Amino acid sequence: MAQFRPGRDVMVVGVGLHAFGRFPEQNLSDLARDAVVDALRDSGVPWSAIPVAYFGHVYYQGMSIGETTLAQLGLTGVPIINVENACSSGSTAFWQAYWGITSGVFDLALAFGAEKVPSGPVTVTAENSPARYIGGDHMMAGYALRMKRYMEETGAPASALAQVSVKARHAASMNPYAHRKETYSVEDVLNSRLIADPLTLYQCCPTSEGGAAAVLCAADALDTYGVDRSRAIRVAAAALTSGNYNGRGSDHSAFSPYRTEPAALQAYEMAGIGPEDVDIAQVHDAATIGELQQIEALHLTPFGEAWRATEEGRTALGGDIPVNTDGGLLAMGHPFGASGIRMVHETVTQLRGEAGPRQVENARVGVAQCSGAGDVTTVHILTR
Amino acid sequence: MFVSVDEKCLRLTDDSGERGVLLGMRCRQCGVHVFGPATFCQSCTSSDLESVELAQQGTLFSYTIVRVPPPGWPGQVPYVLGEVELPEGPHVLAEVIDCDHDALRVGMSVTLALQPVEMEGVANSERVVYKWRPG
Ligand SMILES: [Zn+2]
Repeated sequence: MAQFRPGRDVMVVGVGLHAFGRFPEQNLSDLARDAVVDALRDSGVPWSAIPVAYFGHVYYQGMSIGETTLAQLGLTGVPIINVENACSSGSTAFWQAYWGITSGVFDLALAFGAEKVPSGPVTVTAENSPARYIGGDHMMAGYALRMKRYMEETGAPASALAQVSVKARHAASMNPYAHRKETYSVEDVLNSRLIADPLTLYQCCPTSEGGAAAVLCAADALDTYGVDRSRAIRVAAAALTSGNYNGRGSDHSAFSPYRTEPAALQAYEMAGIGPEDVDIAQVHDAATIGELQQIEALHLTPFGEAWRATEEGRTALGGDIPVNTDGGLLAMGHPFGASGIRMVHETVTQLRGEAGPRQVENARVGVAQCSGAGDVTTVHILTR
Repeated sequence: MFVSVDEKCLRLTDDSGERGVLLGMRCRQCGVHVFGPATFCQSCTSSDLESVELAQQGTLFSYTIVRVPPPGWPGQVPYVLGEVELPEGPHVLAEVIDCDHDALRVGMSVTLALQPVEMEGVANSERVVYKWRPG
C-alpha cells in the first residue's frame, strides 16, 4: 500500500493545449511547444522561472525530445525529464510535477506531453514478439473482449454503449480543440464498421496528434510568482499505480477491467473526499466500454450500472455526474503523451468556470483518470 | 522439426507439431498459478515457485471476432480471439479455431489446439502456436 506524505498544497496555475487532430506540417516539438507557451501565458509565470519540467511521450522521436523542444523557449539550464508510461505518460508527468512541489523541492513545475500517433491498430509488444503470432496484441480487441463480457454480465444493450460515443461527440461539438466534432446518432454508431465484435469504429478513439501542458505552483508561493489566485485550482490528490491483480497474474492484465480501483481509492483517501463529492470526471474512454468501466471503478456508480446511468443521461452535460465533458478520448482523439494532461486542462477549465457552452454549473470537484498498458493508472483530483 | 512459438509458455510433447502443454508456475507459498514464466509470485512476491503443466481445457471467459487485425497478423481475417479461463485460474488469450461464429457462447468449453503458423514474408519463421477449439 502506498504511503503518502504530501507536504505543501499544490495548485494548477496554467493550462495549455495544441488542438488535437492531424497536423502533417508540424513535428512533435511544434505541438509540445505550442501547448507549453499557451500554459505559460495562462499562468503568467515566465519561462525563466520554471525550475523543472516533465515531458510525457511514447513514440520514439529521437533522444531527449523534451530538451530539444524546450530549447526553443530559451536555454535556461532547467532539468527536463522525459517520461514514458504508455497512455498515461502525460498524467505521469503531471504526477511527478505534483510530487516535486509538494515534497518541498520545487516551487514551480511544468508538465507537458505531446504525441503524433500513427494511423491504424495500436499494439503494445515489440515486432516479432510471440504475441504477434498469437493474435492477442490488439488494443481494441482487448476492449472488445471486455465489452462482450460486460454486456453478458450486466445485460447492457449495444445501444447503451453506443450512447457513450454519441455523448462524447455532443460535448466535442462545443470544443474547438477536438479532433472529431461532427455529431452522430446511436444508429450511426452501431452501423459503423465492425473492428472487433461487438466494438464498431465509432466506439474506438481515433489515434491523433496533439499537445497539452500544465504549470503547477506551490500554494504558498503564488504571490512570489505573481499568480492570479482566483484562477488557481488545487490538486487535492495525485495517485499512480501499476498492476495489482490479487494473484491472478498478468496473463490477461492488459484487459482487466477494474484496475483503476486501487488508484481511485488512494486518491479519495488522499483528498479526504468520496465519490459522492465528485462533480465532473474525465476518464480513459479509449473505447466506449472503457468509459463505463472507469466510471464504475471510480465508484461514481455501482458496478454494472454505468450503462444505465449513461442511458438516463446522468453522465452527459446537464446530468448529475457529467463525464468526459470535452469529448474525451473518443472525440478529442488520443495522442498518448498529451491525453492525461488534456484531462487536467478540461478539469481546470471547468472548475474555473471558463468552459463556455460546455460549462457544468457549480463544478467544484473534478477527477481525471488515465490508464495505460503495463496496468498503469493515474487518478488526480482537483478542487476549486 | 517443429518449434514452439514461445518455449516458456508452450512445450511440444512429440514431433507431430500437434500435441503439447501450456506451461505455468505455481507458488508454493500461496498456491496461485500464472500462465508462462515467473521468477516471483505476482500475488505474494515469494520466489518459491514450481513449474507446472496447465489444463488442456478451459472455459471461454470472453471472445471477439477481429475484423481489423493487428500489424503482422499472419492468419486469416476475420479471426476469433478468445480469453480462456483455465481451471487453475490464469486466463490465456489465443485464437479460437474451427468454430461457427454464431455458436460461440461465453462460458462454453474449449480445448487446447496447436497449429503451425508462418509469419508473412519471413523465411523459416514457422512456429507452433497455441489456439483453442470448441469442445
Ligand atoms: Zn504466492
